[in-house]
Amino acid sequence: MAEQPKKKKIKRGKQKQLNRSMAGNALLFALMIFCGIFMVLPLVMIVNNCLKPLDELYQFPPKIFVRNPTLENFSDLFVLMNDSWVPFSRYILNTIIITVGGMVGHVVLASMAAYPLAKHKFPGKNVLFSMVVLSMMFSWTVTQIPQYLIISWLGINNTYLALVLPAWSFGMGLYLMKQFMEQLPDSLMESARLDGADEMTIFWRIVMPNVKPAWLTLAIFQFQQMWANTGSLFLRDEQLKPLQFALQQITAGGVARAGAAAAVTFIIAAVPITFFIICQKNVLETMTTSGMKD
Amino acid sequence: MSKEKTSEELKVEMLSQMGTKADELEIKEEELTEKQKAKKAARYEREKKRELKFAAKSEKRMASGHGGKSSLNTKRMRHGYLFILPWLIGFVLFYVKSLVQTVQFSLSDLSVQPTGGYKLKFVGFDNFLYAFRVDPQFKQVLTSSIGNMLIDVPLIIFFSLFMALLLNKKFKGRTLVRAIFFLPVILNADAITSAMEMSRAMMTGGISSSAAETANAASGIGVDYYMKLLSDLALPNKVLEYLAGAVERISDIITASGVQIIIFIAALQSIPSSMYEVAKIEGATGYETFWKVTFPMVTPHIITNVVYTVVDSFTDSKVVDLAYKTAFDQMNYGLSAAFSLISMIITILILLLVVKIIQKRTFYYN
Repeated sequence: MAEQPKKKKIKRGKQKQLNRSMAGNALLFALMIFCGIFMVLPLVMIVNNCLKPLDELYQFPPKIFVRNPTLENFSDLFVLMNDSWVPFSRYILNTIIITVGGMVGHVVLASMAAYPLAKHKFPGKNVLFSMVVLSMMFSWTVTQIPQYLIISWLGINNTYLALVLPAWSFGMGLYLMKQFMEQLPDSLMESARLDGADEMTIFWRIVMPNVKPAWLTLAIFQFQQMWANTGSLFLRDEQLKPLQFALQQITAGGVARAGAAAAVTFIIAAVPITFFIICQKNVLETMTTSGMKD
Repeated sequence: MSKEKTSEELKVEMLSQMGTKADELEIKEEELTEKQKAKKAARYEREKKRELKFAAKSEKRMASGHGGKSSLNTKRMRHGYLFILPWLIGFVLFYVKSLVQTVQFSLSDLSVQPTGGYKLKFVGFDNFLYAFRVDPQFKQVLTSSIGNMLIDVPLIIFFSLFMALLLNKKFKGRTLVRAIFFLPVILNADAITSAMEMSRAMMTGGISSSAAETANAASGIGVDYYMKLLSDLALPNKVLEYLAGAVERISDIITASGVQIIIFIAALQSIPSSMYEVAKIEGATGYETFWKVTFPMVTPHIITNVVYTVVDSFTDSKVVDLAYKTAFDQMNYGLSAAFSLISMIITILILLLVVKIIQKRTFYYN
C-alpha cells in the first residue's frame, strides 16, 4: 500500500503505461518459477521415467534425468497390449465414447439448466439451486452402494450409460456455469428478445458464445474426470472397459513390468494435458474476438 | 358475481316482505322469481360476452407484445423449466435418490442378506450418538480436518487469485505456463497416483520421497527460526501458529489450487475490456485499476472458489477415508453413512457462514 504514491510518480515522470518496475517483474517471475518447479517436477519425472531403460529405473540413488533414452518401454507396452484378448484399440474406443459422451452431455445439460437459474425468475428456483449446492457437499465415494443400486434398478449396469449418465447431471458444472452466466448483462438478452429470438436461439447464439471461457473450463474438468474413470464398479465385460482400467492392470503387474508401467503413466498424463492446452488456446482466441460484451 | 349477490339479496328482501303478507301470494311470488331468473340469465350472458371480449382483446395485446406481463412471465417460466428438466431428471435419479438413501442408512442398522439384497432395521440416532460418544477416531479426525480446511482455504484463494492475475498477463509461453499450473489437477488422478506410488516404492526412497524429506527438513528449520523471530514481535500465538501452518503447507496449497486458478482466469477474462479502457482514460494506476475494476468484478467468483475449495478439501479429507473404511472394511454401512452426513452438515454450516460474510462485500454487475 505504501508503494502507491511512488508508482504514481513514476508514471507521471515517464508518461508511459508501465505499471510495474523491472525489479517487481523479476520478483514475480522468480515466484512463478519457484511455484512452477513444484508443479512440474512430477511430470518431469514421469516423462523421464518412461524413457529410462530398466536398469536406470532401478538405479539407486535415482536420477531425475535420463542418461540413455530408449523407446523400449513403449514397445514393451505394445507387446503386452497385443497379448491381451481384447484388442488395444477397443480400450481406446471405449475411453473415447465414455469421455466424450460424458463431457459433451454434461457441458450442454449443465449450461442449459444454469441459464434459467441465472437469468429467469420462477418459483422453486432457490430451492433447486440450494439443492445443487447441497449435493456438492457430499462425498460420492461414500454413496457408492446406493448409486450401484440405482444403476442396476435402471438396468444400465454393464453399459457405457452407467458411467455417462451420472456424469451428465453432476452438480459442480451447473454451479460454475450459473456463476458465470449471472455476470452477463440482462440487456444483451433483452435486445435479442426484442429482435424476436426465442429462448433456444438466445441460449445458443447469445449466452453460450459469451461464456465460452466458462464452458471450456468446465469441459477441461469433465474431460479430466471422465478420463481418469476406470469404471471398475459398473463395467464387468472386458470389452467395455476403458483404457484407464487396462493401464491400471499393467501397472499392478509388479516389478517386471516397471518399464511398461512408466510408459502407461506417461500416456495417462499426456492426453488430458494436451486437451487442456488446446482448450486454453481457444479461450484466448475467444477473448480477442468477442469484445462486444455490453 | 357481486351483481348476482345483490340480486339474491333483493330476492331475499322481497321474499321476506312478501312472507309477512298472506300465503295466497305464493303463486305471485313464484312468478316474480321466474321473472327475476330470466333477468338474471340475461345479465349473466351480458357479463359473459363482456368477459370474452376482454379476453380476446388481451390476447391480441399479448400477441403484439405489449402488456400482458404476467402471462409472458409464465411463458418464460415454462421455458425455464424446460431448460432445466433434462438435467434435473438425471440429478434426481442419480444424486438426490442416493442422498436420501444414505440418510435412510444412517438411521438404521444395515445387514446384508445371504439371499442377496439388504435389510434395514430402524435404530434412530444410535449411529450418530455412537460416532460422537464411542468411536475412538471420528471426533479427532473430524476436528483435525476442519482445522486443516480453515487454514488451507484462505491461503488457496489468495494464492490462486494471485497466480491467475499473473497468468492472465500477456507474455511468451503463457499457455505452457498455464498448463504447468494445471498439472496437479491432472496428476491427482487415481491411476497416476497409484502408478507414481508404485514407482516410488520400486526405487525405495526415490526422487519424490527424498525430495519431500529434504524439503520437510529445510522447512522445519526455517519454521523454527521464523517462529523465534516472530515471537519477539509479540504477535499473538494463534497468528504464529497460523503462519507456521501456512509455511508447512506450501506444497499442499500449490497443488490444491489448480482448478481455482483456472476459474479465476476464466473470471478475469470475462471482464469487459471497455472497463479497463475507461480506467486507463481516467488515469487510474495499476493499483487502482486492480482494486476498483478487477477485484470487484472477480468477487462473485471468489465465492465460487471458496465453495469449490471447501468441498474439495472435505471430499478428499480423512473423514471420507474413515467413512469409506467403515463401510467397506468393517461393513458397518449405517455408521459410515452417519459419518459422512455429519461431515456434510458441518461443511454446509461453515460454507453458509463464509458465503454470508463474503456476499455482503460481493459486487454483482447487474
